[in-house]
Amino acid sequence: MGIQLEHVSYTYDARSPLRQTALRDVELDLAEGALTGIAGSSGSGKSTLLQLLNGILLPTEGSVKVLDVRLNAGEKLPKLAPLRKRVGLVFQFPEQQLFARTLEEDLVFGPLNFGASPEEAAASARKALEAMGLEESLLGRHPLQLSGGQRRKAAIASVLAMEPDILVLDEPGATLDQVSRTELIRLLHRLCKEEGKTVIIVTHRLDELLPYADRWIIMHDGRPVFQGAARGLVDTAAKLPDYGLSVPLSIRCWHELETAYGLQAEEPCLSPAALAERAMQLMEADARKELNLCVKSC
Amino acid sequence: MREKLLIGRLIDTGSQVHRLDPRAKLTAMLLYAAAVVAARSWPALLSLAAFSIAVMALTRIPLGTYLKAAKPLRILMLFILIVQCLAVKGGSVLLAAGSWHLDSAGLEAGMHAVLRMALLVCFTALLTFTTSPGRLNQGLEGMLRPFARCGISPERLSLMTGIALRFIPAILDEAQTIMKAQASRGADLKELPWKEKARMLTALLVPVTVSAFRRAEDLTASMESRGYRLGAPRTQYRPLSWSLKDTCFVAVFVLICLEVVWVGFY
Repeated sequence: MGIQLEHVSYTYDARSPLRQTALRDVELDLAEGALTGIAGSSGSGKSTLLQLLNGILLPTEGSVKVLDVRLNAGEKLPKLAPLRKRVGLVFQFPEQQLFARTLEEDLVFGPLNFGASPEEAAASARKALEAMGLEESLLGRHPLQLSGGQRRKAAIASVLAMEPDILVLDEPGATLDQVSRTELIRLLHRLCKEEGKTVIIVTHRLDELLPYADRWIIMHDGRPVFQGAARGLVDTAAKLPDYGLSVPLSIRCWHELETAYGLQAEEPCLSPAALAERAMQLMEADARKELNLCVKSC
Repeated sequence: MREKLLIGRLIDTGSQVHRLDPRAKLTAMLLYAAAVVAARSWPALLSLAAFSIAVMALTRIPLGTYLKAAKPLRILMLFILIVQCLAVKGGSVLLAAGSWHLDSAGLEAGMHAVLRMALLVCFTALLTFTTSPGRLNQGLEGMLRPFARCGISPERLSLMTGIALRFIPAILDEAQTIMKAQASRGADLKELPWKEKARMLTALLVPVTVSAFRRAEDLTASMESRGYRLGAPRTQYRPLSWSLKDTCFVAVFVLICLEVVWVGFY
């Protein structure tokens, strides 16, 4: 079933002179069980796109289909609770979204709303807290007593606690340190590959997500200007500056290797470790060739 | 939430009214408020309404937008109409139910009050629709300057007003962010029963208030760190300049005030 957007447009303040169109005639098809990265410059419509997937925003034109729920512009809405149970949305600046008196109350808020018993909700909360690397001793604290990084992790945990089928995250790594960001991406990758969850991540740090994402969407001026696998993104990377994005370092390194060794037919290595290993292999092969030539000439 | 609250937002259409000096617009607004209060008859109110529509049209902002600005106050307007209908007696009896009766004078007083309020709100919206908060602040500061001799600090007052104006949308955004987070985790305000709605709205108060205080602290620190001192002499980045157009604009409002008084007497 997955996610399909058909001719979707979204305009803020649609009926006022202050209207602003954020998405224009978007066509998207995202398969279930994949990890998708969404990138684009500020104001390109990424956050609006994510909020359509959870029914927080409704399309002003076109149709959004998420799993078995269809949201058509201008039509009577179905009950959104079943959709929201299955699509967990982590907003930008999630640390601003904690509102309960204790962290524990915030974590169990979602599961209780979707019919879990208090015991089940508490167990889910602890599991999510552990997954985000937070200590249980924080559960009794007021969310505003947590540090900035802890609050962000807690906000992500509050969505993980609902155990949704689709996880949609709007720049979840912003303001986290590099170690925490890498751990978070690995956790999301694991949830995708081992538990079959669909993960959609908006990011400005393409480099960090490139080794993990199955698919990429590049947004520009309210439209997806690229949709496809990492290979396609590598091939069209020269266009990224036109969309307000810089070419990721790993892609630039791969291009260097590709040109030097004629690797156009090869699947690109996009993590620092994979790039280093492939470069070593190629250099060793070169060294062996030169040695053989020396031996022969001698 | 902000989509519904139009008043206080700049809608830049580049009209002549947008380019007027904010002091002229503030003065005109005070004159207009006086005219609305002084208008006590249908001819006075209707001429004021026609004048308002003409000025609104000059701003090139659709009239419907002005009506939308007054929409959040419709319950209050209805309340005023009912109170006037119940309280004011006189004229002919229009409707009677037992000992209670609706008099023509009550209905007329109620309709006058509602029209006055609608005119005032719609026209006040014109001030914010056509003037940015910064310019409005500058205008306010300029108008309060003569009161400095009486111990009133125009700078302090305009700073307070300016920050308050900027904080309203920021706080509304903050509340909306939390409401969206609650909705995405299964507690959509639109789908909840009234009791739950009240509970959810109460839950908003603490984080939004704390965040407003935090924003205020950050703002103070940021202004002080960049050398701002209240009362210290400062140059203006875009100084205000009064032109003939501003004088004409205010003069038109003086005339409409005189017209309303004249219609009231004769």
